[in-house]
Formats: sequence, structure tokens, C-alpha cells
Amino acid sequence: MRKIVIFAAAALLATACSANTAGTSDAAAPGAAPAAPGKDATSVGFIFVGPKDDYGYNQAAYQGSQVVAKAFPDLKVITAENVPEDDNAARVMNSMIAKGAKIIFATSYGHLDAALKVAAEHPDVAVVQQGNLITGTPPKNAGTFFGTVYEPVYLAGIAAGKATKTGKLGYVYAFPISQSIDNINAFELGAQSVNPSAKTYTVNTSSWCDPAKQAEAAANLLKQDVDVITQHQDCTATVIKATEAAGKYSVGYHADASSIAPKGWLTGSQWNWGPLYTDIVKTARAGSFTGSKYNANFRVGYKTGDNPFVQSPYGPLVDAGTKAAIDKAKAMLSTGSPFAGPITDQGGKVRIPKGTIPDYETIEKIDYFVSGVVGSLPKS
Amino acid sequence: MTTTLTPAEPVKVPSRRSADLLDGVRRWAGALVGAVVIFSALLLVKGADPIAALGDMVASIFTSASIEQIAIKATPLILAAMAVVLPARTGLANVGGEGQVIIGAVCAAGVGLAFDSMGPVALVAMLVAGAAGGALWAGIAAAMRLTVGVNEAVTTLLLNYVALDVMLYLIYEPWKDPNGSGQPATRPLAVAARLPLIGTTAVHMGLVIALVAAVLVWLVLRGTAFGFRLGVTGGNPEAARRAGLPVKRLLLTAMLLGGALAGLAGVMQLAGVEFKLRPGLTANIGYIAFLAAWLARHKPLPAVGGAVLLAVISIGGDSLQLDSGLPAATVNVLMGLVLLAVLGWASKGTGKRTDALR
Amino acid sequence: MLFVDVLAGGVRGGTAIMFGALGETVSERAGVVNLGTEGCMLIGALGGYATAAETGSPWLGLLAGAVVGGLLALVHALLVIWRRADQFATGLTLMFLGLGLTSLYGATYVGKAAPGFAPVNVPLLADIPVIGEVLFRHDPVTYLSFVAAPALWWWLRNTKGGLLLRTAGERADVLHVHGYRPGLIRGRAVVAGGALAGIGGAQLSTAYAHAWFEGMTAGRGFIAVALVIFAAWRPIWVMAGSYLFGAALALAPALQARGYALNQFALDALPFVITLVILAVLGKRTLRAAPEELRRVFESAPSK
Repeated sequence: MRKIVIFAAAALLATACSANTAGTSDAAAPGAAPAAPGKDATSVGFIFVGPKDDYGYNQAAYQGSQVVAKAFPDLKVITAENVPEDDNAARVMNSMIAKGAKIIFATSYGHLDAALKVAAEHPDVAVVQQGNLITGTPPKNAGTFFGTVYEPVYLAGIAAGKATKTGKLGYVYAFPISQSIDNINAFELGAQSVNPSAKTYTVNTSSWCDPAKQAEAAANLLKQDVDVITQHQDCTATVIKATEAAGKYSVGYHADASSIAPKGWLTGSQWNWGPLYTDIVKTARAGSFTGSKYNANFRVGYKTGDNPFVQSPYGPLVDAGTKAAIDKAKAMLSTGSPFAGPITDQGGKVRIPKGTIPDYETIEKIDYFVSGVVGSLPKS
Repeated sequence: MTTTLTPAEPVKVPSRRSADLLDGVRRWAGALVGAVVIFSALLLVKGADPIAALGDMVASIFTSASIEQIAIKATPLILAAMAVVLPARTGLANVGGEGQVIIGAVCAAGVGLAFDSMGPVALVAMLVAGAAGGALWAGIAAAMRLTVGVNEAVTTLLLNYVALDVMLYLIYEPWKDPNGSGQPATRPLAVAARLPLIGTTAVHMGLVIALVAAVLVWLVLRGTAFGFRLGVTGGNPEAARRAGLPVKRLLLTAMLLGGALAGLAGVMQLAGVEFKLRPGLTANIGYIAFLAAWLARHKPLPAVGGAVLLAVISIGGDSLQLDSGLPAATVNVLMGLVLLAVLGWASKGTGKRTDALR
Repeated sequence: MLFVDVLAGGVRGGTAIMFGALGETVSERAGVVNLGTEGCMLIGALGGYATAAETGSPWLGLLAGAVVGGLLALVHALLVIWRRADQFATGLTLMFLGLGLTSLYGATYVGKAAPGFAPVNVPLLADIPVIGEVLFRHDPVTYLSFVAAPALWWWLRNTKGGLLLRTAGERADVLHVHGYRPGLIRGRAVVAGGALAGIGGAQLSTAYAHAWFEGMTAGRGFIAVALVIFAAWRPIWVMAGSYLFGAALALAPALQARGYALNQFALDALPFVITLVILAVLGKRTLRAAPEELRRVFESAPSK
């Protein structure tokens, strides 16, 4: 018996290893200098973590990809939705490259590792990732980009702070990742700037889209007299409809949802990826990706250019005074930041000293809630 | 390869065998054609061209890169399918592969992150820890079955959700990579502690481990007294008990071994593919492997085939999106139809039709 | 009050699970396990939402949810009863099929507005302290569920149909002797169970979340299957179990909205752990209550 086992194992090993010689590798031949990443690309690939029609984050990214398709009629745009944030993402990106894509957009926060892996395997392909940060120096053919999402959220926080009658705001989020933490903090800071006693109550759902959990979260926030609710979820309709049905105020995220909250809609934040995507594609096709601003952790906000994350239109209840306060804050953001010191955390400790305006990277690494946010974060 | 294994199989009357085989092939082919026809009809309703979509899909499978990807995808599926096959021999349904894969990866990560500077030694320790973790998780369900009689199909399903929360807790809190820009994941394993690649391919050594494990399961089930006892227990527990077999111990052992195999699948994903613990680590491996095992009616070597078939469908499914622009979940429809067709029409139970409808 | 909110949330969130679990009860009392309840709920959620969006009537949506849930279950019935396919594997496959089909055809309804059920306060009863808030300020489908569980209990116990169904689950050969066809009775039970699960899904999309999104049942169908066992196949216990599970789900947001600091993942695992613990405690007793034919499925299913 044992003999057979050993023999079988050996035979297996032998077959497996003999496959080496037959096995092919996709890696570029060593020695030959790769072409400039993305130069003269005839095809570009986009991967999305969720469905491209989620009325949220992924749909916005998909729409951006369609703007690219329009801007470059000679360019083939390949898209893939529901691409998980694991090694499957690398597989899908590799398939796109096999189909000729020379520029890849990995549009979810969790796609970074796979994106970097693909970038390392294909030096001639420009790989850009949306929303995360590359630690250290990015490879010559990779980069990350994002808007300063928290800036329009800060502005929306002002509208919320002005609108609330109870002084209680609600925030439904999924997981304690940095983007959500920044958004929650900015929302509270915006509200505080016009309503110092406003508090933001946080509820998480442990899912980017579980409508039933969202409904329960909204119901409980409303029960606690919260009268303005916003969220960081991939699908947003449930929370907004619940808030509207209760006669309270909604602040949107990802998309203009004023049509489902005709009465209580205040404002919100929504994506406009088209121009940024188009410029990235243009840069890469021209052969000048390496060393460009996109070959880095590129961030754009009111201070540095056209934020791809913009404020949604106002609802009917927003008065002139609120609009003026928001305009003033927007002007402030062109030189400052929602996180301009002093910023104190929930424990009262000063985390960003007075007079300091933190850079984008510092802001994206904030791992605490500011004073005024109600809720807790995991201690890591 | 196959020829080296054939002598181990007892040779029956050849004509009968080949007739059986022919019948099986005919039924499988019929089932697959049926599934593809229904799938095509669904695509037509959706406004897509089924011939182009399926043609592109088939073409996409036969590239060297795809074949490597299929091998990588099949590796944990094979192990997790064995995790269903072994307990099934005793009559137990292990639907908890998903959770056992997760806990296997979690335990391996715990060991790996502590000792990965030691390279291959750590890798071996991770394999052991992963197998132990998977066995432990399956053991909870086995214990509940053996002490209070709660059905293991239900408990293993529930434990899948608990396992996921255990992993999420670890990667959001104590094990989170402090240099990971806030991403919920552990730090990556040191390169020396990862599974080596097979030659110059992109396929990691886990494939060899998985195939060896499958062959071992096959040999144990078919050629050892232990395997025979498992079969007797599964066939008729009452008779086994009367024959003096330690039924409870056999059930427990089968379940623990199954869990250990699923745990190994988790180690493969961790040390061969992902290199860090992160939320989407398992990607339904446990569920898909469960179905692969059923496709093969719980025979170990055919289950390897089942795992490969499902890996082929899921890799080929990429093409449905990339080439044909169909929604991502289209591949789930195809997989579901193929499975239903095979379960319903390629099974041996066809002769009992009148009996069932009496 | 925290406990009132949690109980009210338990009823709100437990209703969909209860319909799923009542459906599973019908199926299992007849001797067939349907792990595909998850798929039936999902397809019911889409069918309900889409129909409500197209026709403007959430009631028609509820009906459509029942129809598509039943149709998917019919696949299970055909394979399991007619083709003798394995119950666990077929059920799990049904889940994948439901996920795929709803995603393939559901895309157009994501983010689309549809009329839904709004909460209606029951006159007088809604004003009773505590009880009013927990039980009588919900949507009409929830009120329907208050009736559904006792009605099922009564039907199983007191009607000929109920007797035949139970006999199909306990002693199918007896039916055969008396000239009935157990296969047909079981098939009907499985389809009816799928229809109930479909109603549960439709409640989720048209009354609770007011939205359709792929995969929105998120495991609630599996929970329903587990609940049936811990409820020992009794409709009234299914009702209680659903509310308990709903309450466990409602605990996290209720605590967080009050500002309590708690471990998110421990709270997420809580409903599953509670179910496991209850199964462990009630284990032996519930097993004895299992329909005879079903016990056969549970104890030796995979050995074919």
C-alpha cells in the first residue's frame, strides 16, 4: 500500500515538474527595455468591484469609462464588473492585457495589491488604481489617484449642521476603512463649523450593500431623533427612501438621488470621473506616464484642481444663508483643508495642532474619529 | 500518468465496464448539451448572441495563461472537494468547506506572520496549523452531531458565517498591517514562506499537494481497512454498530480529516495566491467544491475532474464579461444549469422514475 | 427604550426570514430539504420589486414573488423527487442559479423607483405601550405574516391536506398503501414552500429595504433553513425563532445608534452563534421531532 502511495506521489511530482518546460510565461523577455507604459494603447481595461449599475460608486466609475470611450473613438474600452478584491482581480486584469489592453484602471480600494502585481508583470502596461495609496515609491508604470472625497462631504456637513433641529446627524457606513473615517470626520467637522453642538452618530453595516441592514440602521438612527442621514455605502436608495419617508433630511453620496427624496434632499457628493480618466489615458497614450503626476499617489481637491468628486445640486429646503456658508467654506478649501488644525479626537487629545494644514497623505491615514462623532473604531 | 494508476484498479468484466462508461459519457454529454441549450436561450432573451459568446468563451480557455489560471483555481477546489468526499463516505454532509477554508487560512496566517522569517520551516508549520484549524472548525460540527444529534449540514453552514466574522475581526483589528494605508489585511508573508512556483509557470506547488492529497484519499478509501469501515458506516450505520465498529469515532475522524483538507485549501490560497489575509480570500471555494464533489458522486478521482470542470467554467466565465459584455453573474447561471443538468440527468437514479412518482 | 427598539427591529427584520422558514417548514414536513430557499427568496425579491415597478402595485409584486419563488422550487422538486437527485446538492445549486438569474435580469431594476408597502399603524392596537410599537406599526406584509404562521399550524394539524403532507414526511409508504402518490404531495409542498420563500424575498425588497440589489438576501435563506430545525418543524416556533434572529440582527444598529462602543464583528457573528447554541441545547429534543422521512435524508443522505 505504502509503495503505491509513494509511487503515485512521485509520478505526480514528475508530471507536475515536467510541465515546466512546456509551461509558458507571459513575463516580458528580460533585458529588452519595455515600451513606455500605455504608449499608443489601442485598448484600455476597467475593473469594478461591484455591479456597474449599482447607482453608486461602481456606476460612477463605469460612466467615467464610457466618457473615455467617447473621447477616444479609436480606443477599445473593456470593462469587468463584480471583480473581487483578491487575486481574481489580477487574473481579470491579465485577461484584459492578453486582449490588448495597455492601460488598466483598477477602480476599487481593495484592488491595489492585485494592481501592483499586474504592474510588476507587465512593465509596458500602465496600471492605475483608484482610491488607495502605494507605500514607498510607485513602480514606473503604476500609480494611484483619487479626489479629496472628504471635501464635498465637509460642505454637505455644513448643510446638515444648518438643517438639523435636534443636533443629531446620522452616518451609515460599511467598514472602518480610511476613506469612510475621513468622510465621517469631515461631515462632523463641516456640521460643527456652523453648529458647534452637532453630533454625528455612526452605524456600520459590515457590507457595502445589504439593503435590509441599511433599512435597520436608518430606522434606529431615526428612532434616536437623528434628523439628517448620510452614508458611505455602494447602494444608497434604501437609506434615502427611509429618511424621506420619515420626513427627515438626506445628504447623498455617489450620485444625485434628489428624485427619490424630493422633500428632504439637502445636497450630497457625486462623482465625475470622466475628465480625470480621460487625462490619464491621454498621458499614458502619449508615452509620458512614467514620471507624470499620475505615476504617483495623485490626489486632487479644491486646492489643486478639478475635484472628480463634486457637490450635488441643492434641494428645496436649503436656504440662502446655508448656501452662502458653503460658498465661503469652498473658498476656504482652495487654500485650506477640512482638517486644518486644531483637530481633537473623541478623547479630547489634539491630533493635528493649530495652524497645521495636513497633506493629503496624512489625512488618508487618519485612524481616529474626531470629537463630536459618536461611535467607535477598532483598535489596531 | 493514468497508466501508472490503472493496475491498482480491480479489473472487472471489460465489456460491462465499457458499456457503463459509454452510458455515462452519453448521459454527461446529454446533460451538458441540455444545459448549454437552456443557457443559450437565456442569452437570446437577454439580447446577446449565444454562439459568439460561447465561442469566445471556449476560445479563451485554451490559452496557456488560462490553463495556468485554471490550475491555480482548481487547487483549493480539489482539496475542499476532498473535504466533502471523506465525510460523505460515512454519510456526513460537510457544507462547511467555506468556513474551514477561512479558519485554515487564519491559523496558517497566525503561524506564518509569527515565523515567516524562517522560510520553508514556517511554510511547513503553516500547512500543519492550517490543517489543524480546519479540522477544529469541522470538529465543532462533528461534536454537535455526535453529542446532541444536530445535523452537520446545518451547523457547518452556520459556522461559515462565524468563521468569516472571526477573520474580519482579526484583519480589521489585531492583525491589521500598520503600513497598509488602512487596508483591512495583514502584512504580506515573507517571500521565503510562500509556496514555490512549479518551474517557470505561474502555478504554485499547492497543485501538487492537492493532487497528492486526492490520490491519498482515493487510496485510503479504496485500499485500507479504515476506508472500508468508513464505507460500511456510511452504508448502514446500524449494521456497522452491530458489527462492532466504533461508529462515532469513525464519523469524527472522517469529519476531522475533511476539515483538515479544507484547512489546507485555505493555506494554498494564503501561501500560494494571496500572501495575506484579506476579506475576499475564499471566493466561494467551499460551496463550489461541495458541488464538485457531488458532481462526482463523492468518488475522489472524479471529484478532481469535477473541481477542474468548475474551475474551467469560472475562468472561462471571464470571457462572458470581457468579450461579450454580459453581467458578471452570467457565469453563475451557466454553472447552475450545468450542475442541475448533471445532478438531474447524468445521475444513476434514472431507473427509479416510476418508483418515485408512484 | 433599547429593548423595545430591538424587538420592533426583530419583527421588521424577522418577517422575511419567517416567510422563508415557513416555506422550508412546509417542504421539510413533507420530507424534502430545500437549501435553495436562499435562491427562492432572492428571485422572489427581484420578481416582487420588478413587478411592483412595472405594474405600480406592490400587492401584485408580492404575488409575483410567490410565483417565481415557487417556479424555482419546482426545479428542486422535479430534480429531487422525479430524478432522485441529491437534496443538499440540488438546493445549493438552486442558490447559485437564483443568484445568477437575478443578476442577469435584475440590473435594470437597481436604483429604479417602485411603489412599496408603507408601515400602517393598526388603529388602537398601535397605541398600546411597548406591544403597539413592537407589533402594530409595520407594513401590511408583516401583518400577513402574523396570520401566516398560525394558519399554517392550523392547516397542518386540522385539514386533510395537512395530514397528507405530514404523512408524506413521516410514513410515505402508508400513503402509497392508501392509493395516494407521495411524490406528488411532496412536490406540491416544495413548490408551496418556494412560493412562501418568494413572498419573504418580496417583503424584503418591497416593504423593508424598498430597493432591489443583487444578492440582497445575504444569507437570510440559509438562516431560515437552520431556524426550521431549531423550531422543531413547528410553525409557531418558527415565528418565535425568526423574531429572535431578527432581534439579534437589530441589536447592532440599535446599540450603535445610541453610541455604545461594541465590536462590530462580534455583533455580526452573534445571530449565528445564538442559533448554534440553541441548536446545541435543544439538539436531541428537536431531532426527535423530525419527520421520519426527513430524518432519513439527514442521517444518510450522502451515501448513495
